Amino acid sequence: MRDLIIIGSGPAGLTAAITAAEHGLDILVIDEYLKPGGRLLGQLYEEPGGNWWNGIEESRKLAGRASSLGLDIRLGISVHNIEQIDGSWLVHADCETFETKSLLLATGAAEAPVAIPGWTLPGVMSVGAAQVMTNVHRVKPGQRGVIIGVNVLSSAIAMELKIADVEVAAIALPKTNQVNGKAANPSEVMNALLHVSHMAPSPLVKMGSKLMTNDFMKRMGITLYPKNGVRMWDIPVMLRKAVIRIEGTDQVEGVTLATVTAEGKIIPGTEEVIGCDFVCIAGGLYPLAELAALTGCPFYHIDELGGFVPLHSEDMRTPLDGLYVAGNITGIEGAKVAMSQGKTAALAIAKDHGQDIADTSLSEAVRQISSTRSDAHIQFHSEVEAGRRKLQEYWEQHAAGMRNVMV
Amino acid sequence: MTERILDHPVLGVLEPDQTVTFTFNGMKYEGRCGEPIAAALLAAGIRTLRHHEESGTPRGIYCNIGHCFECRVEVDGHQGVRACLTPVREGMVINGGGALPSPVRDWRKDNA
Amino acid sequence: MTDRDMIVCRCEEVTYGELVDTAGQFACNSRELKLRTRAGMGYCGGRTCRSLVDAIALAATERDVTQITLKYQPPVRPVHFGDLGAIPND
Ligand SMILES: Cc1cc2nc3c(=O)[nH]c(=O)nc-3n(C[C@H](O)[C@H](O)[C@H](O)COP(=O)(O)OP(=O)(O)OC[C@H]3O[C@@H](n4cnc5c(N)ncnc54)[C@H](O)[C@@H]3O)c2cc1C
Ligand code: FES
Repeated sequence: MRDLIIIGSGPAGLTAAITAAEHGLDILVIDEYLKPGGRLLGQLYEEPGGNWWNGIEESRKLAGRASSLGLDIRLGISVHNIEQIDGSWLVHADCETFETKSLLLATGAAEAPVAIPGWTLPGVMSVGAAQVMTNVHRVKPGQRGVIIGVNVLSSAIAMELKIADVEVAAIALPKTNQVNGKAANPSEVMNALLHVSHMAPSPLVKMGSKLMTNDFMKRMGITLYPKNGVRMWDIPVMLRKAVIRIEGTDQVEGVTLATVTAEGKIIPGTEEVIGCDFVCIAGGLYPLAELAALTGCPFYHIDELGGFVPLHSEDMRTPLDGLYVAGNITGIEGAKVAMSQGKTAALAIAKDHGQDIADTSLSEAVRQISSTRSDAHIQFHSEVEAGRRKLQEYWEQHAAGMRNVMV
Repeated sequence: MTERILDHPVLGVLEPDQTVTFTFNGMKYEGRCGEPIAAALLAAGIRTLRHHEESGTPRGIYCNIGHCFECRVEVDGHQGVRACLTPVREGMVINGGGALPSPVRDWRKDNA
Repeated sequence: MTDRDMIVCRCEEVTYGELVDTAGQFACNSRELKLRTRAGMGYCGGRTCRSLVDAIALAATERDVTQITLKYQPPVRPVHFGDLGAIPND
């Protein structure tokens, strides 16, 4: 039996593995992907100081450190179930079962879609799929693409495509229907973009600082927004046009766009077809917490964290003995936050294994999560701090409830 | 046809890798050893990996990271293999699934 | 292709029309919507469409923030029958 199994070799899992190994724990890391690094692998953007955040390099550094510590990382294995039996955890992965005293879930996030007629055609992929194809596998997702869904992730990836010399014909909204929700509402999208000022497309921010002052101005903003979009890195960002259909018989051949009102209603007669050979769907990210959900761990839906998250403390403990979480499974944020959460989880685990971890080093690690968060260059939800506070309140309520049961 | 990004302004030059030969639906293709099947096929201009079991509609990669199972193909006789995260190897025999003759749904309609 | 014919659940090919009609008729939550239509019950376990199915159900029902709308069930990745029931080897 191992001391610790970590599911996920993304930035959270790898950082946790390194920290726990430094404290002498016997660890196994499992990941279904073919390389270590998780979603860090695809990331590529310029930081304010002019440095590039190169996910391949960062992953290589983490994996290098892990292998110098002799860590056992098994790739290409999917975990399909976990169970707690007699004080230890069983991890069922493909055709093997592993046993461990402690289990850290660092399974990251998944992409949520928006649905557009024609979105099952070959050539339609999630925006993250295009990122990975381009930056990790170095294969162009196509010659010319259209991105559906305007948000932080899609604007970041649009630029990455551009850098790799892949043409992005437009970033536009999805059409309004019952499933696309706010992502199809021009005013809502504009608001959301203006709030994540660090990463928002810069021309929008410039325009936005004037508009943020009052509601009337904000509405005016979307009304005055140019029909053909504002160009960001030479890519038209269309907040007044929506993709109403993806065209093609055997694979993507184009999309049909239509002009929409400030609320997202299609203005009849404005349809136009533009040609492209691939389409990216960008509906945002949500925590991939399916394994935690199998354990009976309490869950809470917190919008600011991206959806349902497993209940956990500031030091990454869940209410279940020996079960910990770190990274995007706890809420949607950038890789640096995931790393600091991984480190914190590992310290908490080492402490629970009787290692000599000072309370101060654990609380310092917790503080570092917050400072990393406030310095983050990329932010997916503007109110993430508020989301974390909500979660902390749920945790305290839960702990108080448990104390009442004990007395 | 899609292309490989041989020289990337930030990520640099793509290091040469061993070339492997494999078949997909009976046709021969080449790929870079260890890259995912889906990447090798896309580089060869192939987007359609399978057809839906019931309706027969064409499907390709969707998430590219193992979550959606849209890219599942048969590899050396094993079914349900995700092309987006399975490394391509020399001599692999890959087949995209097609519409199945007797879908469960038809049975269910008549019996349940 | 119209909106009604648009596929929401890619695995089971459940359409938008089917889901909206079922939700309208039974005013049901996500779980019931899933059981009635098979949306989210296919190969991927609902990882792709769950937010869409939720959105349709939430138009008629309130969200309970403490209950995952579409429950997860093991295995969360498809497993070949021969591989189930393996013995701990570590
Ligand atoms: C498609 C996508 C693109 C993103 N792009 C960006 C970006 O450009 N910039 C940015 O700042 N953030 C981005 N993010 C957010 C990203 O989640 C974080 O930046 C960071 O990578 C989270 O780290 P993590 O360690 O929590 O999870 P991840 O990096 O997601 O790693 C989780 C790992 O767990 C593995 N795993 C999951 N389930 C199982 C299982 N059942 N069995 C075995 N292994 C499993 C996965 O294969 C994966 O390697 C993106 C997220 C996604 C999903
Ligand atoms: S493309 Fe989604 S699992 Fe392979």
